[in-house]
Order: sequence, then structure tokens, then C-alpha cells
Amino acid sequence: MLRTIIKREILEYLKSAKFLIGLGITLALAAGSTVINVQDYKGRLQDYQSASQELKSDRFYKRLYRPPQVLSTLIQGKDRKLGNSITFTYLNIPSTTSGYMGEGLSQHHRLVSGFAAVDFAFIVRVVLSLMVVFIAYNAVSEEKSSGTLKLILSNRVPRDQLLLGKFLGGWFVIMGSLAVAALISLILILSHSFIALAAGDWTRILIFMGLSALYLTVFYAISLFVSVLVDRPSVSLMILLQAWIFLIVIYPNLGTIVAQNLSRLPSQEQIAQQKAAAFQPYEAEQKKIQDAFGQAVRSGSEVPKDVAVRNVELWALQADLGHQVDEEYGRKLTSQTNLARAMSVLSPAVLFDQAAERYGRTGMAEYERFMREVYRYWQQHVARSRLMYADREAYKTAAAIDFRVPVESTAEAFAATWLAWLLLAFFGLAFFALGYTAFLKKDVR
Amino acid sequence: MGTIIRKELLDHLRSVQFAVLLAASFLLFAVNGLVFVQQYGRLNSNYRLHVAQAEQHPSTMGTSLFKSPSPLLFMAEGGEKNTPSGYYLGPKLTLLPEPAGTVNFKMPDIPELDWAFIIKIVFSLYVILLGFEAISGEKEQGTLRLVLSNPVARAKLLTAKYLAIISSSAIPLLVGLLISLILIGAFLPALMGPSNLVRMAVFFVLALAYLSLFAFLSLFFSALIPRSSLVLLVLLAFWIIFAFFIPDMSGIAAQRFSKVPSEYEMAKLVGPTIQGEVWKRIAGIQDRIQKGELKTEEDILKEANRAYEEGQDGVRKLYDDYDKAMEERAALAQRISRVSPAALFQYAAEAVSATGPTAEARFLSDVRNYSRIYDDYVLKKVGKVVGTSPWSFSSSATLNGKYINLESPSPQEYAGDKSDFPRFSESRPSLVDGLRHGLWDIAGLLVWNILLAGLAFSAFLRTDVR
Repeated sequence: MLRTIIKREILEYLKSAKFLIGLGITLALAAGSTVINVQDYKGRLQDYQSASQELKSDRFYKRLYRPPQVLSTLIQGKDRKLGNSITFTYLNIPSTTSGYMGEGLSQHHRLVSGFAAVDFAFIVRVVLSLMVVFIAYNAVSEEKSSGTLKLILSNRVPRDQLLLGKFLGGWFVIMGSLAVAALISLILILSHSFIALAAGDWTRILIFMGLSALYLTVFYAISLFVSVLVDRPSVSLMILLQAWIFLIVIYPNLGTIVAQNLSRLPSQEQIAQQKAAAFQPYEAEQKKIQDAFGQAVRSGSEVPKDVAVRNVELWALQADLGHQVDEEYGRKLTSQTNLARAMSVLSPAVLFDQAAERYGRTGMAEYERFMREVYRYWQQHVARSRLMYADREAYKTAAAIDFRVPVESTAEAFAATWLAWLLLAFFGLAFFALGYTAFLKKDVR
Repeated sequence: MGTIIRKELLDHLRSVQFAVLLAASFLLFAVNGLVFVQQYGRLNSNYRLHVAQAEQHPSTMGTSLFKSPSPLLFMAEGGEKNTPSGYYLGPKLTLLPEPAGTVNFKMPDIPELDWAFIIKIVFSLYVILLGFEAISGEKEQGTLRLVLSNPVARAKLLTAKYLAIISSSAIPLLVGLLISLILIGAFLPALMGPSNLVRMAVFFVLALAYLSLFAFLSLFFSALIPRSSLVLLVLLAFWIIFAFFIPDMSGIAAQRFSKVPSEYEMAKLVGPTIQGEVWKRIAGIQDRIQKGELKTEEDILKEANRAYEEGQDGVRKLYDDYDKAMEERAALAQRISRVSPAALFQYAAEAVSATGPTAEARFLSDVRNYSRIYDDYVLKKVGKVVGTSPWSFSSSATLNGKYINLESPSPQEYAGDKSDFPRFSESRPSLVDGLRHGLWDIAGLLVWNILLAGLAFSAFLRTDVR
């Protein structure tokens, strides 16, 4: 019985114009955005590779580059927005990456700010969720208003089986659409020779697809619930669209805005003051050392070893203390961001986005892993610069400092996003249960 | 005609869509007003603080020029939070951007909740929701042929439906704008001057023009496709493409198709430029010392200073070229996005509010004008204008065993009275300037309207109403 209902539902959907139009639009947008995003990734990859080759570090200026993430072709996240290069010396370490032109000079923002990502994650979050609403809004209400519902139920069809059949029929159609869209995007990505996906990337893509499926299921359950509750299809569509725009556009915006205004961030002046205060105890010593250093240089004699070493140490200490202040500020930014997330946790779109960025390695988590590694490198570079004055021989023979950002395992990424899965599953189940009970109690006449 | 409009309007006013739109408008515009009041207060106090600091320390070595926060940010923010808060200006137009205000870059990317956004995204969607059933719905219910069996011209019926959609979206819009204005006016009464109010009125007209094109689009598809749910689906696809897909994709597309060098390509030139412009000149001097052409320390220092100054001119030119290239790329992104009426509306709104990239360009041209006055002042006080760049250089030479330090010259401070230090003043573009700037965008909106109106009318006149 269940199978017959499912089969009939699926056939019904596949024949319907709304499904065909919806699928056509989805596929066109998925293909279009993927092609453009792949080209963009290619450009960024080329820049990254030639920068690593051509804009090398020298003894004083150290340059490190943040590679573009291959999965940004599907989940762009913040990958384009955050700068790709960081240049430092033992005198200073910037708190953020910047464009290739360097901190304070780069006009990277002109090219990225104000442009939101249109990627596969967007297709799922906005386009497919809308298609789900269109598929499901009249699943029950249409049959009720056209009178077929009572005809069906006058046969020996149990209500729960009918609803389950309807649910699964539509669900298979949605999952099929998601799979086709994903397949097209993946084929477009893989047809480029410069893209190589590692095993870990494939697992991440699979998990991301699972998340997309769960996210769409939540919208499907909500739509079905409303369709059971409201008898007129046009009214249920209206209600669903209002809910859709609220959950996807309005509510996440308001959550972020409220978070921004609830917690205050220190101004740049305050940060500068904190940095100055942190180094204040060493200022007199630094001045003394610098005078000694300058005197030696001017007189043409060699700078005494202890002066030269202490000079490096003090500069590095100043940079390090400044870095601690920057870190503290960074933690404030993170906690404000977490507050914004917590405020908008009821929106499936926010949960989906947050987890997707983690799987794409295009969110803040991956960026912070990079920056931690930059700091580790910087510390070694300071030690090396000190060695240059302290022990010339050891300095010459020392091996180059290597820079490698440890790869986050998929399990780690998954562990960091379990709450999103749990909440999405909860929303899906809750609305399914509501729809189910409402249907069992429904007056079908 | 009046009867039809009244009937249509009453239908809309009783609908779910209208009630929700009214509530959403109330909420969003109230938040817009409250957030702006806070934001503007913060921006303004920062601005005053910065300007006061700069004025306390007039310097012939360089001065910081700050951009006053635009009073109409709540209408169209235009990405101002990410642009530099001003520029550090050195002699010979050496420009270094001052950091932008505090922006939490870790936050999820959300657009500013300004008037332009609320209208561009939320209101356009609701115009679709108010209009998609206009014809297809009546056809489905069978009332369309009843109506048209009366002596009612089709064109008149469509006009009436159009006017009803526009007025039923204009009511919540007006309510929202008023709430936002009341909140802002209550806390910042100074901003409610006549010139700003005129700008707001112009903005309202632009918003109606933008919403009107969505009304025509809805009527067109409603006449073309007999099933309401399909009409809505197609309209929402257009909405997604216009409001998100094209504007957001244009940034990436511009990066890909621009002919001007990218940021990386410019960054690659920094090393070679410094090598060619500065170190080559210094090496030339060292050669001449070797050959014995430069005999005194004085000669060497004079030559080195000249070499550094010429070199710095070249380095500075590279950074100027870089700025121009980035401007050009950003402008290309804008041109591409103009395919979408939502982008046209956004740019027209920025033009009317005097915010966004054109305001930034205007500020920069003010800075350039001031730079001339500043250089004259420096020349008068110090006697020479020394240009620098983001880089300073240091080298050394030996003459007969004597160590000579060769440093790139930096501007000198005038120690005397600087009470006649020239003041920097920003020019405020008039509304006419703004409109002239946004002329193409406004014209584009009109063209969309005419085109879609033509389509809607011809589709409805041909539609089979049975």
C-alpha cells in the first residue's frame, strides 16, 4: 500500500509543471554559479601559487600565504573575503591577513565587500528550500480542497500510511533534485584539471550533502505541517513563503544586528593604548639599548653582541605583547559572533550555513588555525633573528622554518557541528510529528 | 475605474500578505532607525575625536584627513563601514588609508539593514506576492470573464490592478519610513533639515519606481501563465536572480574579466619597481664614488637625496596605479551588476543619499585638491616639499674609508608658528549632483518600467480570458 502511494506521489510530482520549472531554475543557477566560482578559484589559486613562488620572504620580511580552499567552489564562506597574505618581521606581527598589497595598503575590500556568496550552499539554502516549499505546500491542502482526500480515505487506506506515503514521495523527489544539482556542480568542478579532491574532501562533500538533505527535510516537514493545517492551498503557500522569508532573510539579519549592538567592541584607540600600556615597563630599557645601538652604528664600530641581542628581544617582546592584545580583541570578536549565532539559532538557514562553512574549510575556524600557525612561525622567526646576533654559526647552519597548517580531520569538523545537526533534526522531527498528529485528527470532509 | 481600484485595493488590504508586510515593515524600519541612531553617534564621536587630534598637531610632515560620516547612511549604507575612515596625507600627495572603523570581520556576512536593502529585497518580494494572482487568480476562479463581460476596457482593468498593487505596497512603505524617521528625528533632530528631507522624498519616488517594475513583472507573468502557483514560482526565480544572483556574482565576474591588473599583479611590481627606481639610482651613485666622480660627502648626500626623491616619485606612482586599478575593477563589477534592476536601484539610492563609492571618490578628489594647498604651505614654511611613499630606504657608502649613511629624505617639521595651517573642508554634493551621477541608473529603472509595462499590457490584451 505504502509503495503504491509513494509511487503515485513521485509520478505526480515528476509530471507537474512546477517541479519541472523549479528543477530547471535550480539546475541553471547551480551550474552558472559553479562555473563562475570555479573560475574564481582558479584565479585565486594561480595568484597563491605564483605568490609563493615569486613574492618570497627575505631575511627581514617574512611572507606567508593562505591558500584558497578547493571546497570554496561549493561553499565559498569567507574564503574570498579574508586576505590571502600576511607579512611580518620580528618587529611586528599583524593580527589579520590582508590582500597581496600588504597591511594598511591593500584595497582588497573594494572587490569583496558587499558581494555575498552565490555558491552551491546558497542554492541549497535559498533556491532548493524555496522549491521544497513549492512542492509541498499543497500536498494535503490541494486534495482537501479538490475533495479527493475524502475519496482516498473512504478506501481502506490508513491515514498514517497516506501521510507517510505522501511524505516519502515528496521527499524522494526533493532528494533527487538535490542529487542532480550536486552531480552537475561536481561534474563541472571535476572537469577542471587544476582541481584535485583528496579523500578528505570527498568525505566532507558527502557530509555536506547529508547536511543539505537534512536542511531541506526541515523545510519539507514545515511545509507539510502547514499544508495539513490549512485547507486552502493558496493560503498555505502564502503562510509558507512568509515563514521562508522570515527564517532566511529577516531573522538572521536581526539576530546579527542585535548581537552587534548588545556587546560593545573596544575602539582602535583603546587597543593602541592597551598595547602601549603593556610595553610601558620595558620602554626605558628599550630606549637605552637603541641609543647604544645607534651610537655603535654611527661610530662605525661593531654593535656589541649583548646590545644587538637585547635589541631584537625587546622589539619582539613589544610585538608579542601587542599580539596578546590583538588576540584578546579577536576573542571579543569571536564571542560577539557566537552571540549572533546564538540569537539566530532558531533559523535552519543559519545552522546550515555555519556547519557548511566548517565542512568547506571556508569559515573562521580554518582561518584561525592558519593564524595560530602564523604565530608559531613568527615565534620561531624571532628566535632565529636573535640567533643571527647571538650565534652567527648556529644561525647559518639552522634549517629553514617550515610552515604547514595541520589539516583538520573530518571527524573534528563533524564534532564541532553536532549541535547544528541535532537542532536541524529536532526541527525536522518536531514539525513532522506536528503534521502527523494534525493529519490524524484532521476533519477530511 | 475608481470602483475597480477601490475593490482591488480592499482585496489587498484584507490579504495575509498585506498584514505581514505591514508588520515586517514596522519591525525592519524600527530596527533600522534604532541601529542608525547608535551607529551614527559612534561614527560621529570617532570622527570628531580624530579631527580634534589632527588639529591639535598640525604638521608639515603629514596630516590626517577624515571623512565625516554621511548623515544618510540609514538610506543606503553603500559599503561605507569597510572603506577607510580617512587618509594620511604627506607632501606630494602621499596617501595612506586610515583604518576603517571597527568591523567584526568574523561575523556572518549580512547586508546592512538600510532602507535600500529593505526595499530591494523585502518589499520587492511582497510586491510579487501582492501581484502574482492579479490575473491568473481571477482566471482560475472564473471571475475574469465576468468582469470583462461588463463594459470595462482591458487596459483600464490592468491599470487599476497596477495602481492597487503600487498603493498597497506604498502604504506599508510610508508607515515604515515614517517610523524610521521619527526614531531618527527624535534622537538626532539635526539630521532632519530640509535638504535631507528632499533627498528622502526623492528616495521614496525611486523606491516606487523600483517596486513598480516588479508590479509590471508580476502582471506580465500573471497574464501570460494561467496557473497562479506557476506564476509565483517564475516570479520568485526572477526575484532571486535580480536581487541576489546578478549583484553578488558581479564581484567575481569583474575579477575574472577585468583587463586591468589584479591586486596580485600589482603587488608583484612592488619589488622590481623599488629595485629599478631606487636601488638602481643608489648603485649609480656608488659607481660614481668608485670612479672618483663624487669627491665630497656633501656631493654624495646631495646626489643620494635627489636619487631617493626621484625614486620615491616612481614608487608612489605604482601605488597610485594600484589604487586606480582597484577602482576600475570595482567599477566594472558595478557595470556588470547593472543588468539587474535591484543593482540599478541600489546605485540610484546611493547617489541620492551621497554614500557609497562615488562619495568615496568625491572625498578623495577633495583630498587631492587640499594636497595642493598643503604642499604650498609646506613649501612656504619649510622651503622644500619632500615626497615619500609607504617605504623609506636606507643605504650606506664609504668615501676614503669614511662611513656615510644614506637615508631617503623624510619631510621636515616646521618648528615655528603653525596657526595659519590650512583647514581641510569636505565638499557635500548637492542633490542635483547626486541625481546627475545616478542619471543612468534612474534612466535604467525607467526603461525597465516601460519595457515591462509594454509586455504586461500586450500580454493582457491578448490573453484568452475564458
